[in-house]
Amino acid sequence: MIEWFTATDHKKIGIMYIVATMTFFVAAGILAMMIRAQLARPDNALLSAQLYNQIFTLHGTAMIFFVIAPFGLGLANFIVPLQIGAPDMAFPRLNATSLWLFILGGIIMFLGFATYGGASANGWTNYAPLSEISEGTGAGNDFWTIGVLMAGVSTILTAVNLTTTVFLLRAPGMTMWRVPIFTWEIVATSLLILMAFPSLTAVLFMVLIDRHLGGHFFDPVYGGNPILYQHLFWFFGHPEVYVMILPYFGIVTEVIATFSHKPVFGYVGLVLAAFAIAGLSIGVWAHHMFTTGAVSNPFFSAVSFLIAVPTGVKFVNWIGTMWKGSLEFTTAMLFSLGFLFNFLLGGITGVMVASPPIDYQTHDSYFIVHHFHYTLGGGSMFALFSALFFWFPKIFGVRLNETLGKWFFWLMFIGFNLTFLPMAFMGIEGMARRVYTYPNVEHLALLNGLATAGGAIMGIAFLLFIANVFISAFANVPVPSNPWGGYSLEWATSSPPPEHNFETLPPITSRRPALDLMNT
Amino acid sequence: MQQAWLVLVCAAAVVGIFVYGAILWCVVAYRRDRHEAQHFTGNVPLEIACTVIPLLVVIGLFIVTYLDEMPVDRVSAQPESRIDATGFRWSWRFGYNGDRITSTGTPDVPPTLYLPVGRTTEIDLTTSDVNHSFWVPGFLFKRDAIPGMRNAFDLTPTRTGTYLSRCAQFCGLDHALMTFVVDVVPDDAYDRYIASNGTVKP
Repeated sequence: MIEWFTATDHKKIGIMYIVATMTFFVAAGILAMMIRAQLARPDNALLSAQLYNQIFTLHGTAMIFFVIAPFGLGLANFIVPLQIGAPDMAFPRLNATSLWLFILGGIIMFLGFATYGGASANGWTNYAPLSEISEGTGAGNDFWTIGVLMAGVSTILTAVNLTTTVFLLRAPGMTMWRVPIFTWEIVATSLLILMAFPSLTAVLFMVLIDRHLGGHFFDPVYGGNPILYQHLFWFFGHPEVYVMILPYFGIVTEVIATFSHKPVFGYVGLVLAAFAIAGLSIGVWAHHMFTTGAVSNPFFSAVSFLIAVPTGVKFVNWIGTMWKGSLEFTTAMLFSLGFLFNFLLGGITGVMVASPPIDYQTHDSYFIVHHFHYTLGGGSMFALFSALFFWFPKIFGVRLNETLGKWFFWLMFIGFNLTFLPMAFMGIEGMARRVYTYPNVEHLALLNGLATAGGAIMGIAFLLFIANVFISAFANVPVPSNPWGGYSLEWATSSPPPEHNFETLPPITSRRPALDLMNT
Repeated sequence: MQQAWLVLVCAAAVVGIFVYGAILWCVVAYRRDRHEAQHFTGNVPLEIACTVIPLLVVIGLFIVTYLDEMPVDRVSAQPESRIDATGFRWSWRFGYNGDRITSTGTPDVPPTLYLPVGRTTEIDLTTSDVNHSFWVPGFLFKRDAIPGMRNAFDLTPTRTGTYLSRCAQFCGLDHALMTFVVDVVPDDAYDRYIASNGTVKP
């Protein structure tokens, strides 16, 4: 046990990241089930307004800061050194610091529920002045702020570590243009984190200064400005959504190429698109502020539209990778195909809300809830499960059961779409987000009933996944080093890899060293 | 605003049909048991075309939304009437005719905002505490109320009727109950309401 607490090996840290993010996922998922239970019927009185507001705040914050973003980086912790042929991360002890800051941050945030007055209830955006007054003054609010601050600092340290590792620790022969797409996406993600996350640290400290040291950053009575909060928050907040999607773009690229039994289509295009997305994402933050009347809507609208172009390039490359391939429908591949299906709809609605006149209706409505769940739930979360099924044998040395896996996929796919598709129509019909109750008007009762039914299906599906993990672990059938016919370097070492990753490094003369090794 | 909705939904449908079609084609035609993989790593002319065409499409979409947004954001120098709207936790206060008539709601009794049909009314939106947002789903429109800022915008309703409306920006405990009703009334009824200092309801 003590060897885990003191571990600096990137593989142990990667495993602890995955276990911790999945634990937070269960907690945030239970909160999601409570949200759907409350909204199952109009004028429902299952949960109080106060408790409901805490629940949706922690659901969103946990999914963003403690599940989707850290899972991508935690997985990178395990996979990136293997993909580039490095024995460990560049700064192993810094890596352990990141991990424990992140875990403790999550625990502190959830402990807000144990304080007098309960957890933070300001939404994950924590807008000032709301977060500085009235029911937001409890200790739960400060627990939230400290927890998220710790996660933010942890993310910055991990970004430094990953960037240094990829730039300096590549094996002989592993040139940058031979690095797998997943590793490229992690480089783009890390550079984006270094640009955007300091703004989060700053704005959270400003809130703490206002709350406890008599500051007035966001109080207009003393010359402060609430719009400043939104600028600082979204300057971090929009790049953050790409921090939550770029690693997952990398995952689906690897999975689709492996199970199409073809090289990646348009490798250079994929890399350039990742950097184009990361670069443009720095200049779109105020599309979250179209309705404030305080920003240049046409400018931020134009840049937001432009992001559709490199994202479209990625779709062309994923379809090009499957084109004239030989597709094998493993669970990992099904989840990546599910990603394409769901994320495409999330991307299309994303282009729609880049238009201010459309945003005037959809902003802060369930249409937006629909949109970002298709990108981060149907997109990132589906890619997360794709990654688990794909790399589970490499990480733990056993394969997950494929039959149970396929049941899990189909239940998740049906449940997900049943939950989140109706939300587009709720939003257009005038249902605002973050409401604990709604009147029985238009079709809101029917649409919410469908969404709750879909949520229940996803809950059952996830129990099937947990059962799968235990059944597969007890079956404990050893797997070869390359069970799927993967091409990147991690498949050239044993499953799980030895302490310093490679007994002998294979020669690296192409982008597909593991396949070269199999063919010699 | 209907125009932006129409154009973007149509564009979304066309893009969706192409891309979903291509994905489904791959899944059906290139199954492992039916198709031997062909090895190629790219197609530069195709990739350039698939960058340039979407670029032209989004430029077109941007022009459509820009032209559509301008009349929505325009604030007339001489509005035909003017109403103050103030958000507070958790209801609204509406003031007509320089606050000679005011109506203040509660979370349980939402207030009514009367608008004259066919006239341009300027709404001067403020808040007395935190951020709120004035949302009339029936008008496809919302605007935020921000502390320390006066947000002015014009509404020109074209049909009489009542519209269930609400605060869209999360503002704490009873945000869900922060609703109001917009009642678009004939302009002579509105004028009587103003002239009688609020005693003759439209």
